[in-house]
Amino acid sequence: MTLRDKVRQKIASVLDFDVDAIADEAELTSLVNSSFKLVELVIELQEEFDVRFNQEDINAVSNTGQLIDLVVSRSTATAI
Amino acid sequence: MIDENLHWILSFYRSSEISGALFFGELARTLRPSSIQQDMTRQFADEANHARFWTDCLARLGKEPLKIDSTYQSRYLAAAGMPSNLMEILAITQVFEKRVVSQYTLHANSPDVPIEVQQTISEIMEDERWHIQWIREALDNMADEYGEENISQTMNRYREADRDVYKSTTREHRERLGALRLANR
Repeated sequence: MTLRDKVRQKIASVLDFDVDAIADEAELTSLVNSSFKLVELVIELQEEFDVRFNQEDINAVSNTGQLIDLVVSRSTATAI
Repeated sequence: MIDENLHWILSFYRSSEISGALFFGELARTLRPSSIQQDMTRQFADEANHARFWTDCLARLGKEPLKIDSTYQSRYLAAAGMPSNLMEILAITQVFEKRVVSQYTLHANSPDVPIEVQQTISEIMEDERWHIQWIREALDNMADEYGEENISQTMNRYREADRDVYKSTTREHRERLGALRLANR
């Protein structure tokens, strides 16, 4: 399983969706019913994959694919 | 008996405490084992208890809680933007907790506050002081990881949002909060 798959699976698990329903194009705000859930997701990803986001990162993310890219790029940067 | 404004205010407090408990409960479940996880778990339990205190207080005053959909916390996120990491969550929480202390102090010092409300506020304030203390210590300990300047800027951003939210909330509920504000001019 690739890192992208693992991140997608984590997103699906936190938001309580089937992993197949988490398409790259899916807008994050359409997947959650409150902003608190989004905060929880963002923290969960940072804890799980040992990465850190800042305000600029989050402002640049609107869909699932972008969020996965962010985690993968940070995780790779940490590994290097 | 209490009037409908006080009924609404106490229900609003209760609803905000429930939102806080649910939020911190989810975070406490998410975080890795650490002193922050331990303190956040205690804060989650405190917030849940405060919701119970307000529910019991309303019952002693012969009232059932009103269903309040809009809480102070949801307004914060809308005004300040979504926190992007744990430091920002603690920063926004610190600003929020100070606002809670200030609001409860204002309420306790208002005229004709029922004894049931005074007792509830007094009980809650003990916990609120600890919330402010543990978060301040946690933020101090995060200076190496997030940068002192960054933490300070984040706090300022949330303080500004707090002022805006407080202003708009008091404007929106002027009549309900009027008695409290008039007493503390």
